[in-house]
Amino acid sequence: MTGSAARIPEPAAAPRSGARLLVSTLERLGVEVVFGYPGGAIMPVYDALAGSALRHILVRHEQAAAFAADAYARRSGKVGVCLATSGPGATNLITGIANAMMDSVPIVCITGNVAQGVMGTDAFQEIDILGVTLPIVKHSILVRDPADIPAAVEEAFHIAASGRPGPVLIDLPKDVQVGQTTEDFGFPYPNTVATIDHDAIAAAAQAIRAARRPLIYVGGGVKIGRATEQVRAFADATGIPSVATLNALGTIPTDAPGFQGMLGMHGTRAANEAVQETDLLIVFGARFDDRATGKLAEFAPHARVIHFDIDASEIGKLRETWIPVAGELAPGVEALTAHLAGRTLTIDPWMIHCAVRVQRTAFRYDDAPGEGVFAPALLKAVSEAAGDSFVAACDVGQHQMWAAQHCRFSKPEAHITSGGLGAMGFGLPAGIGAKLADPDATVVVIAGDGGFMMNVQELATLRRYGVAVKILLLDNSSLGLVRQWQELFFAGNYSEIDLSDNPDFVRVAEAFGIEAFRISRREEVQAGIARLLAADGPCLAHVIIDPRENVWPLVPPGKNNAEMMEGA
Amino acid sequence: MSTQTLHLNIDRADGSLQRLIGLVERRGFHIDGMTLRDEGHGRRVELAVRGRDDGRCPHTLGRQIDKLFGVTRITPPAAAFHPEVAA
Repeated sequence: MTGSAARIPEPAAAPRSGARLLVSTLERLGVEVVFGYPGGAIMPVYDALAGSALRHILVRHEQAAAFAADAYARRSGKVGVCLATSGPGATNLITGIANAMMDSVPIVCITGNVAQGVMGTDAFQEIDILGVTLPIVKHSILVRDPADIPAAVEEAFHIAASGRPGPVLIDLPKDVQVGQTTEDFGFPYPNTVATIDHDAIAAAAQAIRAARRPLIYVGGGVKIGRATEQVRAFADATGIPSVATLNALGTIPTDAPGFQGMLGMHGTRAANEAVQETDLLIVFGARFDDRATGKLAEFAPHARVIHFDIDASEIGKLRETWIPVAGELAPGVEALTAHLAGRTLTIDPWMIHCAVRVQRTAFRYDDAPGEGVFAPALLKAVSEAAGDSFVAACDVGQHQMWAAQHCRFSKPEAHITSGGLGAMGFGLPAGIGAKLADPDATVVVIAGDGGFMMNVQELATLRRYGVAVKILLLDNSSLGLVRQWQELFFAGNYSEIDLSDNPDFVRVAEAFGIEAFRISRREEVQAGIARLLAADGPCLAHVIIDPRENVWPLVPPGKNNAEMMEGA
Repeated sequence: MSTQTLHLNIDRADGSLQRLIGLVERRGFHIDGMTLRDEGHGRRVELAVRGRDDGRCPHTLGRQIDKLFGVTRITPPAAAFHPEVAA
């Protein structure tokens, strides 16, 4: 156990089971929604759920529970919670846990396990889920005594949400769930007071004043650290151009002056060239992911690096850092802005250079190839039609990159995507989690036909709870991104990417009781978007797109970000 | 790459030792030696580690270990490792 908070005694309680104590602890922590799927080793907890204040969302596969909890956390700012039984229930959570780990999302996963007396005997549905998940959790706890449940749960929530967030697993053997205890105490964790390295920030300010081509590199840590306002204020006050990672899109609004777009493999030419030209990279909450940097040795070759991050182990991990600033982002960036207040930076030529390039290299939609639906234009139109209430829950593939490139994001919470893990199947359950977290949002699931089929069963969850998610299913009857790479880097040897025997997705949705329709031609797009967004409940638009369409630009693997390929 | 020795305290929670060893190996370090002894409340561990290639930074590994719960480096984080000659 960590933390040194004092135990606060509460009035003596009547004996109750560990399962009921778990539920009451979750209630006390303010949990409202739990995603899960019952089974043998978690049945006492499900018994205790009945009549509780918790709203349980019964998904149709545990992976969807973890994904939905992840998106719920991203959209609500709270800790997401999912429940599963032992063995296969627990192992089905794994992709979702890994996703939360890679994208630093606070979720608590509670698994049942066999009773301690039979642990280690290969009992029915016994899995060492604590051992299995060790590399993909921020922390994990095997509770061996019902009296330890409140402390374990509160510790799990604290660890999941504090510092750099991440998933925490709580494994509850069945005897712990049914065991009786009178224990019931609070274990408050004090809020930590952010410390700021004033010397480092002063040095950073001095370096920025001396730079001629500074560039802000925004990562997902800004959103997670609730430092969006501070980073926007810094960018506005200094006029320094900015680029964003996939997970940071929306932190700087898409149409903000100085914003160059997403950097990296499918980034904009403006963003990638700015990175290659900058003399000072000001990194806020990013980890130099290889999809962002391309060939690391040639990334930002003329730049020295100032790196703000709450996770000190990310500073200097992949790129030498000139001025490290470890700690909370919001106060750190605010202090940096204050240091520069009233100082004029001599970067006008650089700002103009970047602004001109953004204009010159902007995506065009008036010369779309072919006659069919042009997915980039469709995605741009959907995001603009939905306006500031737009929230994209993206799956993984070409459509994910098109959404990143072409959708308008006014806030970082509007873009929910599986960035680090790249987990196909994320989109639909993520949409469910996001909509339940924010019922007023216009949540649009953006999926391809490959990923959609990986969690298609969650249409039943949509139907059961009437979750008014809008699904934009871009169907190219293939695994498009794999096909694109086979075309470009494997001499057109198309291997196992054909999905032309997909089911009729409109009929599939209708079979689940979901309104659905098809968009096949370019002239149907505007009316189709209007119908999708106007639907009262869940609705699916099945959009036929050209299977030969590729995502451009593209930085080939092993190349630096300046070596972008452009489409024909 | 030379072997360096980490001096650590770990608690008795399930998975603590496995978590530590897994992290070291997953982050690209060989474990060349290990001693563990009981110290009442917890356990004292000495790990002799060596990077698989020159790209593995012991200082970064130290910071990653600092993020584990239930594991404490005896040396302060800033001090990172005590370089020692391989046995």
